Amino acid sequence: MKVETHELMVCLIANEVRNHGVVVFGSYTPLAYSSYMLAKLTHAKDVTLIGYNAIDMSAVEMSYFGHEAAAYKCSTARMDALNEVNSIHLSHRGTVECISPAQIDGSGAFNTSIIGDPAQPKVYLPGQAGASDVAQHYERMVFYIGNHSTRTLVPKVDFVSGNRWKISATERRKHGLVPGPYKVVTNMAVMDKDDEDRPFRLVSVHPGLSVEDVVSQTGFELDTTDTIVTPDPDTVHLDLLRTRIDPRGTAKLGILGGQERRDYLRQIIEYEWQRAKDHLKLSAAA
Amino acid sequence: MSKLAPLSAIDDLVRDGDMVALGGGWLANHPMAAVRQLIRSGKKDLRLVSNIGSIDVDLLVAGDCVAEVHYSMVSLEAFGFANHMRAGFESGRVKAKEIPGLAMLIGLDAAGRGIPSISYVGPFGSDLIDCNPDLKRVKCPFSDRDMIAVRAIKPDVALLHVTRCDSDGNAQWHGTVAPDVVMGKAAKRVIITCEEVVSRGEIVKTAAATGLPGYYVEAVIEVPFGAHPCSHVPRYAMDAFNIWDYSELKPGDPKLADFIARLRGESEVEYRARVLDRETAQILRTLADLGRPLAEAA
Repeated sequence: MKVETHELMVCLIANEVRNHGVVVFGSYTPLAYSSYMLAKLTHAKDVTLIGYNAIDMSAVEMSYFGHEAAAYKCSTARMDALNEVNSIHLSHRGTVECISPAQIDGSGAFNTSIIGDPAQPKVYLPGQAGASDVAQHYERMVFYIGNHSTRTLVPKVDFVSGNRWKISATERRKHGLVPGPYKVVTNMAVMDKDDEDRPFRLVSVHPGLSVEDVVSQTGFELDTTDTIVTPDPDTVHLDLLRTRIDPRGTAKLGILGGQERRDYLRQIIEYEWQRAKDHLKLSAAA
Repeated sequence: MSKLAPLSAIDDLVRDGDMVALGGGWLANHPMAAVRQLIRSGKKDLRLVSNIGSIDVDLLVAGDCVAEVHYSMVSLEAFGFANHMRAGFESGRVKAKEIPGLAMLIGLDAAGRGIPSISYVGPFGSDLIDCNPDLKRVKCPFSDRDMIAVRAIKPDVALLHVTRCDSDGNAQWHGTVAPDVVMGKAAKRVIITCEEVVSRGEIVKTAAATGLPGYYVEAVIEVPFGAHPCSHVPRYAMDAFNIWDYSELKPGDPKLADFIARLRGESEVEYRARVLDRETAQILRTLADLGRPLAEAA
């Protein structure tokens, strides 16, 4: 069975969710959301999921229109942004966060703010939301990138929206931060970093790609000493993802860009809109 | 005294140049009817405060109402960039003031509590700190720990959309609240738009759901589908086709001028009649209803 890139990435990120603590959904990132649902249904039943303002929600179907409403149908508490978000993000209750930046460099700095000279930016990106704070405080930080290239994995970011301020366990403990890994999951490879002074390790390259393929598309140094081929996802994970969590494949939106993403989105919303229409017709008939 | 007002009350309650905080987050529950009214009344030079903004901020920039945007993120998510805001920033016509998301909430919290600044263990290493005059590196006076002080953010007005509210302004959100409550407490004037005005008795019966008490609120405006085309769960999902059409209007497109002129020329009732026929309204409700936890999903 052929595994699509976005499916592989969902399963890899799901493995980063451990069975404790709190995971807060950020902006609409269906690839990350699908990973959280997958973890919640399998190896991380005790993780607390927070989607929108729904605290402790169960896993919900990744319907484009329906996931927000669904979250409120299966949660035990509500929050407003200030009260819960800050308590989770700043007091070490958050365990894993996923960010998809426009640029990342070998120091771990990421950019979601601007492209070009900061004094006269060429392009304004959406902004970091809470990522600059979260990246520093969370136990595990995952950057996921759908278009691995020297334009996204760059020698030096144009602007540091944020970074993992301290990276090694020793340094993190010294500054009152929870130790934990810094990972990058892309459409080509998995990388991690656990020391300020050492380069990212190329942990694995996805099936069909060589180490050289990945190195040539990466703008910073990689340690390739122990690189392996990314193992296939667990078949139980893959099946849950396809049949229950994300039957319309919304996670793929997370690796597509520009017009391709819009075309794909259009299919999803047309399908769900029609489904709602059909549902209405059926209820009227009944 | 009843605070009930028509949507046109916004014309007087918001002034040119005001700092205006917009509630909602992502593509959920932005105060879109109030945003449309700002465009209708031709407001100028607004300084927006948006924690996680989308079409609310972008539409106001497209309508030429905005001088600067204080934001931690603004995007149309899967639809793409907030193109009009971007064009405004890139041409220098609109000032961009990005601030870390948590710092914005903390700055608003400071204003609501009457504190000039609050310090927190902020994002050291981010370039956003030293380029923002509202953030400063400080030391904790007790532990000597490095901290970031955030200057209070004091909006003149907060525009918030809620599910139900009584005529005193006791406001209840049944779905996504996002930064609304902290914005409501920080702002000098709070304008609530709501899906439905209900009696005080109804609020009393469900008092645990009240997010913002009436003493913060200046005006209460009943506007069904007041978040459209954004979602207002549990009552309706986002109108993705409407947002789609908007997202195809690129800056400089002559169709954009027509789009804005049409908004300006119609009342909110006419807007609803145009974009929300009976079937569309039913579908939007159904789309929210069909969102299911996995245990129940077909």
